[in-house]
Amino acid sequence: MNWTGQVVIQGITEAIAEHAAALMGVYGTNIVAGISPGCGGQKIQDIPVFDLVEEAVSQLGKIQTSLIFVKPYQVLDAALEAIAADIPQIIITVGGVPPLDMVKLLRKAQATNTLILGPGSAGIIIPEKVLLGKFEPQFFTPGKVGIISYSDILTYEIALELNQAGLGESIVISLGNNGIIASNFGEWLPILTADESTQAIILIGQTNGNYDESAREYLATEVKKPVIVFIPGLDLPEARIKGDAATIIANQLSYSLPTNKTVKDLLIAFEKVNVLVSDRLSSIPNLIKKLVKN
Amino acid sequence: MELLEYQAKSLFTQIGIPILPSESIKNSRELKQLQIPYPVVLKSQVRAGGRGRAGGVRFVDNTIDAIAAAQAIFNLPIMGEYPQVILAEARYNTEREFFLAVVLDYELKQPVLLGSVRGGIDVEALLENMKMVVVDTEFSPFYARHLAVKMGLSGQLIHSVSTIIEKMYHLFREKDLDIIEINPLGVGADGKLMALDGKISVNDSALFRHEDILKLASPFFSDTNLLSLENVAKDGEVGIITNSKDLALTTWDLIAKGKKKVSLCLVVGETSSGEMLPPSKLNQQLQMALEQALTLPELKVLLINILANAETIKTVAEAIANYLQPPIKPTAQGGEDRMERLTGTLSRKERKSLSSSKKSEKKQVKPIQLVIRLVGADIEEFKQLLVTTPVYWTENLEKAIDKVLSGSKK
Repeated sequence: MNWTGQVVIQGITEAIAEHAAALMGVYGTNIVAGISPGCGGQKIQDIPVFDLVEEAVSQLGKIQTSLIFVKPYQVLDAALEAIAADIPQIIITVGGVPPLDMVKLLRKAQATNTLILGPGSAGIIIPEKVLLGKFEPQFFTPGKVGIISYSDILTYEIALELNQAGLGESIVISLGNNGIIASNFGEWLPILTADESTQAIILIGQTNGNYDESAREYLATEVKKPVIVFIPGLDLPEARIKGDAATIIANQLSYSLPTNKTVKDLLIAFEKVNVLVSDRLSSIPNLIKKLVKN
Repeated sequence: MELLEYQAKSLFTQIGIPILPSESIKNSRELKQLQIPYPVVLKSQVRAGGRGRAGGVRFVDNTIDAIAAAQAIFNLPIMGEYPQVILAEARYNTEREFFLAVVLDYELKQPVLLGSVRGGIDVEALLENMKMVVVDTEFSPFYARHLAVKMGLSGQLIHSVSTIIEKMYHLFREKDLDIIEINPLGVGADGKLMALDGKISVNDSALFRHEDILKLASPFFSDTNLLSLENVAKDGEVGIITNSKDLALTTWDLIAKGKKKVSLCLVVGETSSGEMLPPSKLNQQLQMALEQALTLPELKVLLINILANAETIKTVAEAIANYLQPPIKPTAQGGEDRMERLTGTLSRKERKSLSSSKKSEKKQVKPIQLVIRLVGADIEEFKQLLVTTPVYWTENLEKAIDKVLSGSKK
């Protein structure tokens, strides 16, 4: 992951994109172009707009990151356009992308070795240094805790707790929500593990989401820093795991049949690899203080 | 969105998966004109599982029996759902029954083909015999043949079953399905295949690019409807309004830990796929949510828990202040109203809805404790608008929860 290189915004004419562009402008993010077919030649907040990604590349040189803000049904096409223009990092900020579009995109991204965050990802923030995406920087302060999260609102909540406790955040990654998510805990843990300013890691899960098995292995063998996981709504009947095909079918065929996997099983699995599971956001800062000291 | 059996079967027909002759019936009188020869089976068209056991599937031999059975089925709710349609279908004698499905596996991030030679209602046997093939590149018919062989099929059946799987896969792909399932796939004595029952579930986020399927949805279907979490306790004393499902679950969890029951949990300003709606839409939903919450007779505490950027929080604070502010002039609805306003706890909306409902007119209305947590902007000016309304304001989640727990005590 390269935080610095040149950045383009695909779908810069969307309202959310304009809001995010203004915040990133303040942060000094190197946004060199916006892409919006039919709006080429215009300027939005002093950012030149192009019709095609290819045109931006040929005029401005290598683009490192594309932030995709287009409508959900145009995401696949926009991402394929970015990949065709050799952009190695893509953050899909819009959610609601049809899962089969993501399946197709991920196959392509694997072949080209493109890094993708999202869909529905707020992006990445290193407080007061890097802002890529649509995070609201007002909720973050520089500090020592890294966060990888499936829930943006809970990321803000935990950041508020960390700020109050004087811990702050070293780097925050938003994976996205719902459906097929391009990269998961497993892809980002190595980056936080290697990051020197990160002294502890918080993982925020999703109740009805999918969890990568690979992360657990990595956590067991490679991560020496304290790791705490929080999953919302654990004790609630709403909590269901979407998961794998066999579980989906089992759930589908009968209500009475016990599902193969419950949230509780996941928690036990996390505990096995020395990851603390917290059921209260407000207790996390104290846990971290204890663990970091030891 | 899950389709009903008769809707799924009409899609099967379109792609050439064989189904029995059938007719959908909206009214038991329509059975008099039934074109299918008796005996027939009548099937309640509901989404809930276990309809056979619940009495939603009946075999009939003549028109008189059929009308009586149809009337019974129309009046039989299954898991709370009354059928709008009954499917009348010819009967079929099978030698064997298979299970076939194509599902999107969220862990593998790939479509998966599934099959079992023990289809039907014996779920355990079905699952024990389930075979699986992951479609990890562009689909080609060999994946389907692979599954057929894994299932233990041989000879002509490899060909006929894999042809059905292939068709299922194409529909899965074309219509953005989460699940397509045939259970059972009947195998006749002559080896002929027949999809006897089927399920199709279309991915909600893709629904709006499939007009034909959208037509089958309820006219009220929208991914921007006010989201209401299920499994609330009707006799609960706490209501929650928040602006994200994750925050709703987290808040609910904290209240449940404090041994209080939640009777209402609404998410405003977020689509079902987790997208933020613009502040204007959020405000509109917030009003609906407040209206819904303040009419609940058992409600003792209402917690509004919203975290957002400064711009959104200011519009939300303004909307709440406007909504809850005591009206300047008494709305001529009688003395009771005035009494209530003197206690300064209720909104005019609540009074309006309560007095319009005869039942609750005489009921002593208990004041509702409002706990409001808005995080993201300075909202002092809006708090000033509500000085006469007792609201507990805090930016701290734990303090808000403490107040909710103490405020819901008797």
